[in-house]
Amino acid sequence: MSDADLDRRRVLGTLVAGGCAACVLARLGVSGALAQDAGVGPPLAVSPAGDLPARPARWYKKLDGLRVECGLCPRKCRVADMERGACGVRENRGGEYYTLVHSRPCSLHLDPVEKKPFYHVLPGTSAVSLATVGCNFECRFCQNWEIAQARPEQIPAIDAPPARLVEVAKAYGSPTIACTYTEPVVWSEYVYDIAAAGRKAGIRTLMVSNGYIQPEPMGDLLDVLGAVKVDLKAYTDRFYRDTCKGELKPVLDTLRLLKKKGMWTEIVVLIVPTLNDGEQEHRELAKFVAGDLGPDVPVHFTRFHPGYRLMNLPSTPVPVLERAREIAMAEGLHFAYVGNVPGHPGNHTYCPGCKTVLVERTGLAVTQNRLVKGRCPSCGREIPGIWS
Amino acid sequence: MGSVIDEERRKLMRALLAGAFGLAAKPVFATAEAGAPRERAPVQKGLVARGRRERLLGENGAPDAAKLEDALGKAVARAAGDGGPVEAMRRLFKSSDVVGIKVNCIAGRGLSPDPKLVGLLARWLVLAGLPPRNVVIWERTDRELIKAGYAIQRDGSGVRCFGTNDDYEKSPREWGAGGSCFARVLAEEFTGLINVGVLKDHDLAGVSVGLKNWYGTIHNPNKHHDDGCNPYVAHLAAFPLIRDKLRLTVVDAMAPQCHGGPARQPRWSWPYHAVLVSTDPVAIDAVGWSVIEARRKEVGLEPLAKEKREPRYIAEAGNLGLGESDLSRIRVEDV
Repeated sequence: MSDADLDRRRVLGTLVAGGCAACVLARLGVSGALAQDAGVGPPLAVSPAGDLPARPARWYKKLDGLRVECGLCPRKCRVADMERGACGVRENRGGEYYTLVHSRPCSLHLDPVEKKPFYHVLPGTSAVSLATVGCNFECRFCQNWEIAQARPEQIPAIDAPPARLVEVAKAYGSPTIACTYTEPVVWSEYVYDIAAAGRKAGIRTLMVSNGYIQPEPMGDLLDVLGAVKVDLKAYTDRFYRDTCKGELKPVLDTLRLLKKKGMWTEIVVLIVPTLNDGEQEHRELAKFVAGDLGPDVPVHFTRFHPGYRLMNLPSTPVPVLERAREIAMAEGLHFAYVGNVPGHPGNHTYCPGCKTVLVERTGLAVTQNRLVKGRCPSCGREIPGIWS
Repeated sequence: MGSVIDEERRKLMRALLAGAFGLAAKPVFATAEAGAPRERAPVQKGLVARGRRERLLGENGAPDAAKLEDALGKAVARAAGDGGPVEAMRRLFKSSDVVGIKVNCIAGRGLSPDPKLVGLLARWLVLAGLPPRNVVIWERTDRELIKAGYAIQRDGSGVRCFGTNDDYEKSPREWGAGGSCFARVLAEEFTGLINVGVLKDHDLAGVSVGLKNWYGTIHNPNKHHDDGCNPYVAHLAAFPLIRDKLRLTVVDAMAPQCHGGPARQPRWSWPYHAVLVSTDPVAIDAVGWSVIEARRKEVGLEPLAKEKREPRYIAEAGNLGLGESDLSRIRVEDV
């Protein structure tokens, strides 16, 4: 099969798969087939919804009266016996805290790494992508709300210990495993174990996150992760509070921590009409990235489509995304992208020096990769990212 | 009169022989109007009936069946007007109604509505003319029901008993401060509701009496625990799917718990030997809260306000017109 055929198949596959919401459709049936087709042993077992095995949580402290305080995210949920944190996937059982989703993904799929999106991490490769249920935010526009806003007993899961995921990745020739779709922060124990197992086998683990996490667990995860994508939902605390039930500052702190630890990071900003589409906000956001994180951090301005509890707004006009990208570049960012607009020139990676198109994309597929050992073939400039 | 009693006895026998509570002579299914509430039920605003009996709860933790039937029957009757409990059910429900009896079983045995109490309510509904199948004892999950001593009964013509499990609506609905997918059975089948809570402290909400129980009807309760669950509890109770169908709130207060909830912590429970019943869903919460506070004082615990967890949602529910939240305007009638 020629490269062109492969590319065509990839393009078709990604176009059919569509955006992130389509991953939800990949639950179970596809998941089981994924492991079976890969010839890596028996199919992953499906557990019915309602089955709730638990594993001890790692990040929490005990309080009086059988209460615990979760140490994962800045919410610091104080959880009474038999209750769960805001994420719905961590439960206090008699004064001990447990995760209900370790090794129990509800979605498992083979995606282009561009779908995460990572544009500077091994372009054109696939990532074994998975999610358990649960999220510590409640974004009104959540595209994966059927799993992100669910509780474990509401969604069937697969028995997929970290070692099995690594086997699947190797069998498919995927250099990465992506913890994505929902919020990996709330299943950090599982993320850590996947990343540790992957690291031993030469498989990088990617975390696609809202960045709403405490420094301690994030620091622990950074010991084993390969790259992190953070959804910077907006650059106002108001948006975080009103639209996501979160806060801005801890997310910015996480981004600074990623920078400090030298972790490869990309940022996605979903622009929602009327809520975070102001030019001044985009300018301030770009200044923060350029100033605090550096100009080489890629920022993807992506298109909102109505979903979940935000059905009354239109999809983001493409010129708004283009303008945000222009502003970001004007503020000194080297890699600003337009996302969720297939075929847009803003999908490509350009050399910040000579403006040569380095990586050309159509939808989620890479159609041309001109990088030579991570450098621009025209001017020789080193392009930041993970290229091999 | 005797013939009426005979007829009721015959209905009861049929019901008792079917499913969880009875075997109907013929299967009965939801009517064409399933899901649509009848006209708003009569509410005796500010009236809470309390059935309290000495040693209602025995040494073994099980209720005395005769005392429970007497206490609950009189309280139900008083809350809904006069007469007996069956007549009360007739006043509150039509024979074509499909009634969901929402129980709160998260804490398992010992701090969940006693199955005998719930069984009486189901029996009276059947005696009032509802086909047994149209009476559904219902909770969030089968697992919670089983742990609390209920037997799952999804099929057949008798009284049903099951959890929502994963059967929620496919799209969320906005209900004021929150948005959720509701249990499909609530949205599509039930035309009437009885809320059966248990009287207890709740670490986040302050208390869990009746109103808080509606968290068990949505897919994402954990998203609504901020700020002492206020205004979420009130807004959820005000949502038409619940507000328009709710006719009666019953609270198992035989052995309440004044601290450490929602889980069962026997050290904080005490024998109160009572059931509370009201058609006013707010007044019964206000009374329940006052019972909890009185006990906390007795055993040397701080008032909930001192712990910054007084149930402010009760006043919010009053403000929304769901009932009376001001204790000074609430009558507790012992029956």
